[in-house]
Amino acid sequence: GAWLGTAAAPHERPGARRGAEMKKLYGTDAAKIQAMEAALQLSFDRNCDRKQPKYWPVIPLRL
Amino acid sequence: MYTTSAWRQQTPRDWEHYVNKQVRVTAHGQQQHRGWLHTVDPVTASVVLVQLGESAGGCSVSVVMGHAVEQVEVVGEADEETAMRLSSLFRSEELEARGGE
Amino acid sequence: TSISASSKPGADPASLQTEQRARSMMRERFLRCLISMANKKIQFHMYEKVKVDATFGASDIDVLNFQVSDLQTPIGVQTEALIRCQDVISYSFDM
Repeated sequence: GAWLGTAAAPHERPGARRGAEMKKLYGTDAAKIQAMEAALQLSFDRNCDRKQPKYWPVIPLRL
Repeated sequence: MYTTSAWRQQTPRDWEHYVNKQVRVTAHGQQQHRGWLHTVDPVTASVVLVQLGESAGGCSVSVVMGHAVEQVEVVGEADEETAMRLSSLFRSEELEARGGE
Repeated sequence: TSISASSKPGADPASLQTEQRARSMMRERFLRCLISMANKKIQFHMYEKVKVDATFGASDIDVLNFQVSDLQTPIGVQTEALIRCQDVISYSFDM
């Protein structure tokens, strides 16, 4: 039902939780959480661009 | 006690019940972690545990990934001072400075 | 322990708000923890009894990957690496 939908929302794919969805999850704190997430993601993206890290181990330990 | 999927399916209010409690978390492979529960990430169900040092400063932190949590047991309650230390954790000057511009 | 059942959001705005507050308080604590890990030495406990140390860089927000430096693998140091969160059981560090 509606409740299961809400509980499952955080496990959705990256990028799927935006705007209205964030508001539904975090209420009045949505903007603050979204800003923190954006800052973190930016530093991840920037580091990956600059350092070009490769996966370790090459093959996942757990498939 | 929870199966791994049961822990991930708890509601935020269920997880909140464990915040600031002293807990024992059993992870995959029967690894046990003990500490004060600082938070549960509502997105991944990962558990942040803190082992407080004697002094006001140092502490160690262990994070058990939500997908690896097998069991969470409450073993103690925080007093006021402990709860205060737990909520001020990770609120570094650097972050405050950045947040406040 | 018995935990009172969460009431259905939508049915009761006050309880939806309580739920949102709980979620944002816990998410904020978690994000601050991730941010504070930058440049710290982290020990990762992984599946298949693999244990490695690395200097933390950042994580993507959905916590699918950890970007790290100076990863001490069993066969040497990998200067820049990505660790899949699915491979990790737990990680620890000192504050």
